[in-house]
Parts: sequence; C-alpha cells; structure tokens
Amino acid sequence: MAEKRAVSVIDELRRRIDEIDERLVDLLNARARCALDIGHEKRTAGMEVYQPDREAEVLDHVQSINPGPLDDGAVKRLFERIIDEARRLERLADLQ
Amino acid sequence: MVVVMQERATPDQVERVVAQLVEMGFDVHRSTGALRTVIGAVGGKAGDPRLLEVLDGVQEVLRITEPYKLASRTFRPENTVITLGDVRIGGDEVVVMAGPCSAESDEQVEATALAVKRAGAKILRGGAYKPRSSPYSFQGLGEEGLRMLRGAADRHSLYLISEVMDISQIETIEKYSDILQVGARNMQNFTLLRELGRSRKPVMLKRGISATIEEWLLSAEYILAGGNMNVMLCERGIRTFESYTRNTLDISAIPVVKQLSHLPVIADPSHGTGRRDKVAPMARAAVAAGADGLIIEVHCDPDHAMSDGAQSLFPSQFDRLMAELRIIAPAIGRSICVEAVARRGWSR
Repeated sequence: MAEKRAVSVIDELRRRIDEIDERLVDLLNARARCALDIGHEKRTAGMEVYQPDREAEVLDHVQSINPGPLDDGAVKRLFERIIDEARRLERLADLQ
Repeated sequence: MVVVMQERATPDQVERVVAQLVEMGFDVHRSTGALRTVIGAVGGKAGDPRLLEVLDGVQEVLRITEPYKLASRTFRPENTVITLGDVRIGGDEVVVMAGPCSAESDEQVEATALAVKRAGAKILRGGAYKPRSSPYSFQGLGEEGLRMLRGAADRHSLYLISEVMDISQIETIEKYSDILQVGARNMQNFTLLRELGRSRKPVMLKRGISATIEEWLLSAEYILAGGNMNVMLCERGIRTFESYTRNTLDISAIPVVKQLSHLPVIADPSHGTGRRDKVAPMARAAVAAGADGLIIEVHCDPDHAMSDGAQSLFPSQFDRLMAELRIIAPAIGRSICVEAVARRGWSR
C-alpha cells in the first residue's frame, strides 16, 4: 500500500520535472537567441566574441539571486555550461 | 585537449586560457571543481599545446588526439597489408626476412640466401650501403653488392630488402630492391623520408635509437603524406642505461604500435641485442608479442663477417629458430611459412 502511494507521488513529481524541463528548454532557447543577437551586434561592431568580464558578471548575478537548495557553486557550474554553449553558438553563427 | 589548471589558479588566469582556446577555434567546456578548474577543448585545429602550457596558472595540457593522422588507427581501423607477389606483410602470416648484414661476395650472398630460403625466410635482407658508426669501418660494396643480392634473391625466389642511406641512392636501390629500408640513424632524415613518400616501393622504417613511439609514427607520417601507403615499422632496440646488450629491444613497442597504428610492425632481434645467443629468445618473444615479421641477420660464416658478425646467426641456428617460431605463431592465431614445414619437417 505504502509502495503504491510512493509510486503515485513519484509519478506526479516526474510529471512536474517534465513540465519544468519544457519551460527550461524554452527559456534556454530564448536566452540563446539573445546571445545570438548580441553576437550579431558584436560582429557588426567588430568586437571580440569572448568577453570574460561580461561572463563573470553573469556568473556573479546568478549566484547573488540564488535562493537554494542548489548551492552557489552548483549554480555557477550550470551557468558556465550555459555560457560555454552560447559562445559555441556565436562561433558557429560567425562561420556562416 | 584538456587543460588542467593549478589549484590556486585565479579567475583571470582561467579567462586567459579560455580566450586562447577560443582564439584557436576550440569549443570550451569549463568544469570548475572545488580545488581546481579543468577546461575541455574540442574541435578546433590541432594547435601547439605549448601555447597553453606557458600561460600562468596552467598545471598541464593533455592532448587527446595523436599528432599523426595517416599512420593512426583512427584514420584506418583495419590493418595495412603490404603485398609482394604471394607474400603478405601485415596479414596472418609472420614474414621472416633474413640474410647477411652486408653483401660481401657472390659466394657469401649465395650461400646465405640458400640457407635462409631453406629455413623458410621469404625475404632476403642485405646491405650494400652501410651506415657504420665509424668512418673507418667497412662501408659496403654499393651497386655491386646490390647486384649480388638481387641475383641470389632471384635464384631462390626471395624478395629483397636493402637500406637506403641517402636521397642520391634511391634511384639505384629501387632498381634492385623490393623493399627500401630506412635505418635507425635516418629515422628523422625528413628530406629522405619525403623523397621515399614519392616512391611506390614499400618502405621499412626502423625506429631511431632514442626515438619515442610518437616520433617514430610521425616519421612514418612523412612517407605516408607523400602518397606512399606501403610503410612498415621496425623495432630494432633503443638506447637505455643497460650496456650488456647492444640495445634494448623494446618488445612492448610492438603491441603499443599495433594499437596506435594500422601499419605492420617488424622486429629486429639482431640489432636489438647485438649478441647471437640472445637473438633467438628475443625473436620468439617478438612473435609472441604480435610482430608481423622479423628481420634477422644470418651469415654463412659469421666469424669472418665484415660487419655485425657477433650478432649474425649460423644457418643451423636460424633453422632451429624457425622451427620454434612455427610452434609459437599458431598459439596466437598466426602462421609462419607452413610450406617449409611440410617439406622439411619440424626437426633440425
């Protein structure tokens, strides 16, 4: 009986994770589009693709607003990956 | 490649590395650990890792891909097989090349060729142009020696391998020899390697006395890059602190190179040890380790050889060695000159 209840709770939580993931994918893509637009502006202005100061600013910002339970280090690492991918996207756009 | 930062690397130092990688065209994957940051770099051109190693805060730079391409098994997963008539080097059969260090006379070449053929060798080895450590040592008979070797090889249905020391000799040696050998001392003679890349004869590239496996494969790359894909490698011993043997035959190089490269690997236990009594054990070990072939010095009268007498086998010793190899080769799924077994039996 207890097992049956646990299964239905887990199912519900998994459904929520799926929904959150869908929103995350939407948000990540919206973020990527902004990064691409910035890349376009940088190119027309002849600016460097890699701007470490701005990346540091983004990482500081997301850590400063982090309410947990993820610790700041975890948030930083996740956003490092997001930034790495944004930079890659900008590079690929640059090649076209 | 992977860049490992030092434990106390600052964010500025990490940024400098990322900037360098971005400039080199790499996609960057940062991984910030509790103690140190590791930066993965994929794509991009094979840049000089030293550009990163010299940056502040960098602990080490690890290259993931080999600097050689055509010689790499990644480029060609299946083994390269070099075909000379019915002889296949790099196939199932272990191919044995044997003969004198140098061609000295028609009689000496003939007697030795007959002996090695009878024992089951497929290729006659013999030098006409000799790279000797001392300029006062016997330097070889030149084209006259090649003529002797070719004659004996033809009379006994053997193929011939002989060493090329210099670009100027290629044209002459190509006329007589079926395989062109590059000696250990010439492994990094890049102009010679480039020229051999234009040849359509197979090349056997010996490992340099102090060459790493990577340097050896990069030398092979020179020949392959020139368009000559028939390259085999030869482990002939490297210089170590041990002085009992002439060189230390690096048996471990055989499985290592077989894994890294698709090119056939030949072992030379004669130069690898420099001592006749140690040639057979090392030859057996090389075959057991997976060598595609052996190159062995045999002389009809080693005590009076003009070069390398001490490491040349007597014909009877070579005969016995071949019989032993016929037992070892099948144990690892290979064959070795089976037709001679049928003709001569297993005993000496």
